[in-house]
Amino acid sequence: MSVVILENILLVGLIVCAISAPLCRHLLLTVIVYMSFSLIMAVLWILLESPDLAITEAAVGAAVTSILFFLTLKKIHALTCTERNQHE
Amino acid sequence: MRALLENRFAVTAVILFGIGLANMLLQKNLIKKIVGFNIMDSAVFLLLASRGFVEGRVAPIVAEGMADASLYINPIPSGLVLTGIVVSVSISAFSLALVQRIYHAYGTIELDELVMRVKKEAD
Amino acid sequence: MNKPDEKKSRWTRFSAWVNGKSVIIPEEDLFPGGDLRPAPGKKCGREFCRSAEREGERLYSFLSGYTFAAVVVGVIVIGILMATVMALPRFGQPDNPTNNEVSQRYLEKGEEETGAPNAVSGMILNYRGFDTFGESCVLFLAVSCVFMLLLRDEKNTHPKDLAQIAREEAADDSSRDVILQQVSSMIIPFIFLFGIYTLLNGHLSPGGGFSGGSMLGGGLILYVAAYGSRKIQRFFNGKVYNIARVCGLMLYAILFGYYIFTGANGLPNHIPLSIGGLILPIDVAVGLVVACTMYGFYAMFTKGEL
Repeated sequence: MSVVILENILLVGLIVCAISAPLCRHLLLTVIVYMSFSLIMAVLWILLESPDLAITEAAVGAAVTSILFFLTLKKIHALTCTERNQHE
Repeated sequence: MRALLENRFAVTAVILFGIGLANMLLQKNLIKKIVGFNIMDSAVFLLLASRGFVEGRVAPIVAEGMADASLYINPIPSGLVLTGIVVSVSISAFSLALVQRIYHAYGTIELDELVMRVKKEAD
Repeated sequence: MNKPDEKKSRWTRFSAWVNGKSVIIPEEDLFPGGDLRPAPGKKCGREFCRSAEREGERLYSFLSGYTFAAVVVGVIVIGILMATVMALPRFGQPDNPTNNEVSQRYLEKGEEETGAPNAVSGMILNYRGFDTFGESCVLFLAVSCVFMLLLRDEKNTHPKDLAQIAREEAADDSSRDVILQQVSSMIIPFIFLFGIYTLLNGHLSPGGGFSGGSMLGGGLILYVAAYGSRKIQRFFNGKVYNIARVCGLMLYAILFGYYIFTGANGLPNHIPLSIGGLILPIDVAVGLVVACTMYGFYAMFTKGEL
């Protein structure tokens, strides 16, 4: 019974992360919330009894996707714009 | 209402798909569109993999001599989703590369500024 | 009547774009301050903004209509999906139509025919091996596309950028983060060990080509992030990278081609099913392709060359 409760909590967590990810004002927050979204997905795969997916989602979805997002943000100067805004 | 609670994974997948679709269509920032697209991807994978789950059964690692199908969950959906996850990473990497080139060419990734600059350049 | 020249300019613009002549707005007009990359909030040049208002109204009407249409489409799609979810069979029932004879066949005969206790790996690399080969080609193409977009060499980079990258490179090398180096010198062996373990035990335990390969890719990324690209050039430069990628795909094609032509037609194919049959080498091939893909993305996104 406790597994069902855990699954419900994780599903609600998924929906909260999915709603809040794009609504964050700053792009860096969006990517970080998206990282937590794929982390919850990895845990959900374990609860759905498919460990292959959990390893792949954790190794690929959470890690590599987020690195690529952070590098893109660095390239489009979205990371540093907070300091630049404060200067102006 | 009871059907909603029973198929809770499918309902969550539909809600996530809706959120992702709304973001992809309505967000102005290209990066947020890509995040919306990834959320849609995960929603589809969640729906697919949850259809393969059978209660009270174990992960499909066939133990020695116990090759009886009623002990394990359905391996086919998790096989499909495994390759899907890796492909969705490649797609988001490719779209992020496009975003970088757009920024390098037009200096912005906000859609309305971008459309104006493209129109301006077309005149 | 500017229809023909409108079309002509569109056609000339399209042909200019196709054969690569740069159609980008001249820089002075776009960045009046001469600074190549303005902050998103910076005010744009005076004449540029006057034409912006005229465009603004047309754009505003387009955007509001577009938003309304997008919301309507979204609501319709979600309504249809929610209706179908109502009609879906209950979650997790053994007698669901999805648990038909195909999954029984995979589970019961899987170990004898593919030699892999892990039914998922056995199914992906043996029963559906051709489809996974197509998917490895997708990975191969994804990296090639990112190469085409982001590969930076003397010809296509602005001299100002090149000078800036050289400065960044020098700054990076001089001030390597000591903490990152110390921690990664401890972690990287374990990442590679675990990645190789997952890769090689794909048919016995959960894991396999994809997750093992991405762990190896992640390990390479950490190594480059910690020690800089000059140190990785010793054992993993551009040439080795391409050789590894192509060899991975070719190994997959050759092995699975051999299996299809002999195994499927019942010819004696001397593949020892007791030690996991063909799953192990194909896992290694897929792992190579996935690891090179992940490392290629990182290399392209940071420096633009391998």
